[in-house]
Amino acid sequence: MEIQSCVTILNEWDIVAARQLGRNVAKELGFGTVDQARITTAISELARNIYLYAGQGQLCIERLHEQSKTGLRIIALDKGPGIADIRKVMEDGFSTSGGLGAGLPGVRRLMDDFKIDSNPGEGTDIRAIKWLR
Amino acid sequence: MTMRIPILKLKDYLLVSIQWELDDQTALQFQEDLLTKIHETSARGVVIDITSIDFIDSFIAKVLGDVIGMSRLMGAKVVITGIQPAVAITLIELGIQLDDVMTALDLEKGLEKLQQELGD
Amino acid sequence: MRNQIISHINERKSELINEWVNQVKMETDERIVNIISEDLFIQTSKEFVDLILLSLSDSNNSEYSTKLELFSEKVVRLGWPITFVVAGLRIFVHIVFQSLVKEEVIDKQLEGDYLEMLDQWMAPLSNEIIHTYASTWEKTVSLQKIALQELSAPLIPIVEHISVMPLVGTIDTERARQIMENLLEGVVRHRAEVVLIDITGVPVVDTMVAHHIIQAAEAVRLVGARCMLVGIRPEIAQTIVNLGINLNKFITTSTLRKGMERALEMTNRKIVELE
Repeated sequence: MEIQSCVTILNEWDIVAARQLGRNVAKELGFGTVDQARITTAISELARNIYLYAGQGQLCIERLHEQSKTGLRIIALDKGPGIADIRKVMEDGFSTSGGLGAGLPGVRRLMDDFKIDSNPGEGTDIRAIKWLR
Repeated sequence: MTMRIPILKLKDYLLVSIQWELDDQTALQFQEDLLTKIHETSARGVVIDITSIDFIDSFIAKVLGDVIGMSRLMGAKVVITGIQPAVAITLIELGIQLDDVMTALDLEKGLEKLQQELGD
Repeated sequence: MRNQIISHINERKSELINEWVNQVKMETDERIVNIISEDLFIQTSKEFVDLILLSLSDSNNSEYSTKLELFSEKVVRLGWPITFVVAGLRIFVHIVFQSLVKEEVIDKQLEGDYLEMLDQWMAPLSNEIIHTYASTWEKTVSLQKIALQELSAPLIPIVEHISVMPLVGTIDTERARQIMENLLEGVVRHRAEVVLIDITGVPVVDTMVAHHIIQAAEAVRLVGARCMLVGIRPEIAQTIVNLGINLNKFITTSTLRKGMERALEMTNRKIVELE
């Protein structure tokens, strides 16, 4: 069973809206304060990547109910320039925007499950899951 | 529509309490405001209290780190106070060290630390 | 066919049980047989045969299914290894079949049919027993997991501004997270200025454990307290240096006592003896 809610990312304010959405869903599913912070932060990083690199895209939050597990999935989709070398962006400290370079590898550490799919010129699809412990 | 974070002056120090979630513009505006205020008041120390902040992503961390470095260049020491456990954990997991940032449990302890550091 | 088998087993009950007990003893590990008392063994075997007979006479019987459940639970509670119980079932089928052949109760041509029928009777029985074992294990594992979490890591406020977190046992990623959360929430709640993490009870400090401890210490610094690593035994010091783990950023001491003295110093206090 999956319920999805999405935010379209067009400007900086949408990043705040995406965070708000994620925080509310995380709270509702019963995540503790630390996991709420992890989820909110991960959403913020992913939404900002869309805003900075693709210009526009979508950030969706999905509630997951599987057998005995409950979880939250973040889906970040864009049709931007894509990522040529995924391995490179997953390295700590790599940044093309002059940021801290913590973005994607950081998100992977914050979440339990992380998948990235990207082709140059076609866009990027990132999915990350946090399970309720 | 940008909200401005109030910056209070107390003797030689500036006190800032961030009370709501920071969006990018507010964060950048704050950076500018604080530096201007340091310049105007020749403050020697700044306490930024973030007790009410429930998450910090790499962008906000960078803005904070930058403003601390800039303040230092202008001769003001900055102490960050009230970082929540959840925020500390996510920062560490994100891989953000904030290595040379001074921290304290709360505003009061933050002021004490500044006084010690500045030899007041 | 059914009735034939039932009456056959009924008539030679004690004989079959004796044979069974002997053969099980021969075939299974001596160590297992030694811990199981003879009386209990024979009594349980009898109960089991009664149960089989009950199942043969009427397999849809509700009495049978409750009895089967009770029996499975009993075997599990007795703590007999599952390999032993399953082997016992197999041997029983074998003995009954042998005795049926020996006494010429069944036709040579029908041997296969009888064997299949016996097998079919046994299947639900062994299924139920295995199921009971598995669910007992699952329950135990999840209980132990909870127990482990509870024993995870308390933060103890010793004197004002100083708290200690003693770590005991192996630290994995899941526990490390728990420890970090307890540590930070405790620091803020007790308004600690210095926290001593005591690793006397951690058997092995490898790169991963060290990494978790370093992360915890850094997080402690962010919330505004200082972290000290105490209880570093000689062999731990050796592995830390040999692995090239850099703990230079921390204050470390060999014992909790020394750490305590340092912590008091850091908070401008000391212990004095009264005259």
